[in-house]
Amino acid sequence: MPKIQHYVLFPNHDNGMRLYKELKKLGVRATIAPTPRAASKCCGISLLIEEKDIDTIQACIDEHGIEILKIAAIERDINPKRDRYC
Amino acid sequence: MENKIYFDNGSTSWPKAPRVAGAMSDLLTNGAFNINRGNYEGAYEVEGIVLDTREQLARLFHAADSRCVIFTPGITYSLNYFIKGFLQFGDHVLVSGLEHNAVMRPLRQMEACGVTYDVVRTQKDGTVYPEDVEKAIRKNTKAVIMLHASNVCGTVLPIREIGEICRGHHIFFVVDTAQSAGTIEVNMQDDGIDFLAFTGHKGLLGPQGIGGFLISEELNSQMKPYIAGGTGSQSDSLDMPLDLPDKYESGTMNLPGIIGLHAALSYIEEIGLAKIHAKKMELTRYFLERVKEFPGIRIAGKTEVGDRVAVVSLDFVNADNAMMAFELEQEYGIMTRVGLHCAPLAHQTLGTYPQGTVRFAFSAANTMEEIDRCVEGFRELLSV
Repeated sequence: MPKIQHYVLFPNHDNGMRLYKELKKLGVRATIAPTPRAASKCCGISLLIEEKDIDTIQACIDEHGIEILKIAAIERDINPKRDRYC
Repeated sequence: MENKIYFDNGSTSWPKAPRVAGAMSDLLTNGAFNINRGNYEGAYEVEGIVLDTREQLARLFHAADSRCVIFTPGITYSLNYFIKGFLQFGDHVLVSGLEHNAVMRPLRQMEACGVTYDVVRTQKDGTVYPEDVEKAIRKNTKAVIMLHASNVCGTVLPIREIGEICRGHHIFFVVDTAQSAGTIEVNMQDDGIDFLAFTGHKGLLGPQGIGGFLISEELNSQMKPYIAGGTGSQSDSLDMPLDLPDKYESGTMNLPGIIGLHAALSYIEEIGLAKIHAKKMELTRYFLERVKEFPGIRIAGKTEVGDRVAVVSLDFVNADNAMMAFELEQEYGIMTRVGLHCAPLAHQTLGTYPQGTVRFAFSAANTMEEIDRCVEGFRELLSV
């Protein structure tokens, strides 16, 4: 069963850092991570979050006027067996 | 620096705030990782401090949002961003008669592109009356660019009243805070400022090479990024991103500078602007009083302590100003700045062109005893 991970994607680093700082104040767990290539061609950072916190995080985004691209659910894509056939 | 007296804080402040050097050294020693590029914890930690610094600057200048805080190498770069990123053929600009070449040289360059400017009537003591600004406005005036306090004579311009006039005429108001930031209040919103240029290394007590600007939402919607390049964001696009601060922050940033500025701003927040300003003005009042003992010294600009910052320019009527500055340094260890201070327009206004002046600019770290030593130097050199 592939593992689904949840990311908040941003137009730039500044917004990512803003949300990270606010979530830290709220005690909501978030980890800064490079934006998964499957989610966006744009470089930059994203926040890896837990699904159960999405509503709280969305409320925080709205409250502080933080610009995001979206909250995306993405399959964990590290597969040691990829392109191995024997 | 033993037995030396530093009175050149108008050029750059010294000593810097405590912890500035240490913070910069820590960064360079323990991981000068690159923000907006590096994808690891160390880079994110530095990025957090950069965000904190933007927030400190937004608080200091009363900006609506810290996203409008843009880092550049300093005020000269910031003003070039505005003058070359916003003004176009047919536009007209107003400046005061005290402006620094950071304003005048880019404006002169833009004359070749069809931009014109007028110098608002400025009094011999550096006073600018708001009504004179209003009278000079034309149909095609797009901006008023003015320093907040003169780097030559220290006169403070009435930016709140001028900002109000600009708002009434739908003109952008650009303020150069080189000599006022970190000593007197600048309130971007109440003063009606659309573009506030600042430097980190003077009154803000940070290192050289870091400064920036704060921009209003309305001006930002009309201004182009004068410098373009990589921002570490929206890298799939060949066009500049429009989000702030990325729109104006291409290329690797001066992170040691920002970290140093962060330490300096933390210090200023601890001490408070009012206390810093009071100390500087106490020194200025005393210096002005003592200087008046000498008939052969002319004070350029205001001779009293009101409506000014701690920058005093002296014209030694019976001496070559450069020779006075040299001997003050050689004989008494007093460091000043002599000449035209990159502001020939200001010296023409003040009646000190082309001989220039010797400038004494105080910081809160200076003392009355240092002023006494300086005055003693005047007395001996002028053989009074």
